[in-house]
Amino acid sequence: MTRHLAAGLVMLFLTAVPAAPHHSFAAEFDASKPFKLTGVVTKVEWQNPHTWFYIDVADEKSDKVTNWAMEMGSPNGLMRAGWTRNTMKIGDKVTVEGSMARDGSPTGNARVVLLTETGQRLFAASSQNDN
Amino acid sequence: MRGMLLGVSAVIFIAAAAGNPRPPQGASEPSQAAQPPAGRGGGGAPPPALPTPRLPDGTVNLGRVPGEKGAWRVPYITNMGMRLVGSDGQPLPELRQAQAAGRAAGPGGAAGGDGGGRGGAKAEPWIPWMPWSAAVYDYNSRNNSKYDPEGYCLPPGGPRLMATPYPMEIIQLPESRRIIMIFEGATHIWREIYMDGRPHPNGEALNPTYLGHSVGRWEGDTLVIDVVGFNENSWLDYFGHPHTDKLHVVERFSRPNKNTLRYEATVNDPGAYTRPFTIAWDVPWEPNGELQEYICQENNQFLYRLVDDFGQPIFGPRRQPGELPTGAGAR
Repeated sequence: MTRHLAAGLVMLFLTAVPAAPHHSFAAEFDASKPFKLTGVVTKVEWQNPHTWFYIDVADEKSDKVTNWAMEMGSPNGLMRAGWTRNTMKIGDKVTVEGSMARDGSPTGNARVVLLTETGQRLFAASSQNDN
Repeated sequence: MRGMLLGVSAVIFIAAAAGNPRPPQGASEPSQAAQPPAGRGGGGAPPPALPTPRLPDGTVNLGRVPGEKGAWRVPYITNMGMRLVGSDGQPLPELRQAQAAGRAAGPGGAAGGDGGGRGGAKAEPWIPWMPWSAAVYDYNSRNNSKYDPEGYCLPPGGPRLMATPYPMEIIQLPESRRIIMIFEGATHIWREIYMDGRPHPNGEALNPTYLGHSVGRWEGDTLVIDVVGFNENSWLDYFGHPHTDKLHVVERFSRPNKNTLRYEATVNDPGAYTRPFTIAWDVPWEPNGELQEYICQENNQFLYRLVDDFGQPIFGPRRQPGELPTGAGAR
């Protein structure tokens, strides 16, 4: 109970942090195409104006692996939301929720990242709701 | 869920900010006029607002109190067309109605955007459009601000500096008769306001720039900054209200209490709008705020993914039919 309460408070804090818009979300991503993907982190670009990370996602039927690129907020916004550059590391298994790119490429805007090992759920400083 | 929590936070913030500080001295600044009534959050009386800090000579201090942290948490205001105020500093009545409707239903309303959606020029009849500025605004609305210069890591110009997120600081240097503003976001830039009484340069000496040429003076407790000399490379806001190099902005900064910076800007651009209009909003003080580094140009993949109206990359080689973007060498 206490843990849930604490988690709730953390979420309140995190969601109160302003998102980190830099470019038009709607020009690149489609909010009507949500996804939830689980994969293994292959690369993290902890850089401005947006942190990008890449995950290998295996197709359940064919076992074909696709490397997805995921956009988050800036390191500034993420740090204010409780992240550090080592919160997500290469090799970590993560579940990502967000919106897919309009162009059909394996690219997404991450809204929430769930770290499988710890169960930690992290707000990704997405700018999805800003336009 | 997130929107609801934001709403809760907003109510808490409003309750905290809606105390009744003493009115600013000198200039008749309607700083409190636009704030909601106290006690809206439900519970008991809101905490009293802290008084406006002052420098030793009595001038309003728009920055930190010595020995403390703090920065102005610049809000994300996506559409300035929803922030017009009348001569009383209050939002225009017709706009208040539209804003309420937009907050209830429009995209962005829950996230600190302004609602209002993307109705283009005709959705903002209070803006004194010229035909061309209305057409450009419609275009920017239709393509979701795809060509926003800030997406290219170019700076905002004019009032958008106070509407692009991440904290900023105002540093008063009375001994050298100037004021410096530093912005973490908005491409990590600074601006200098000359307080030595100099005029704007004339003719060719006025070089068009993103931020323009700023001269300031105090009117009572209000810092009034007159800005001219803008180039045409920036937008007035994220939604894409255009401007020309005839843009003349008069900004008014006041601090009715420690936690509130009241910002007003009168936008006069006879190249784009048939008469001046004034926009205004409050900027909250973040007591523990400090600026971080933000180098927008570092890894701006938006540049490589952006395609024009014909599906071709803005930067880089043309694509073959069906070919997908590859990103900045990331994969």
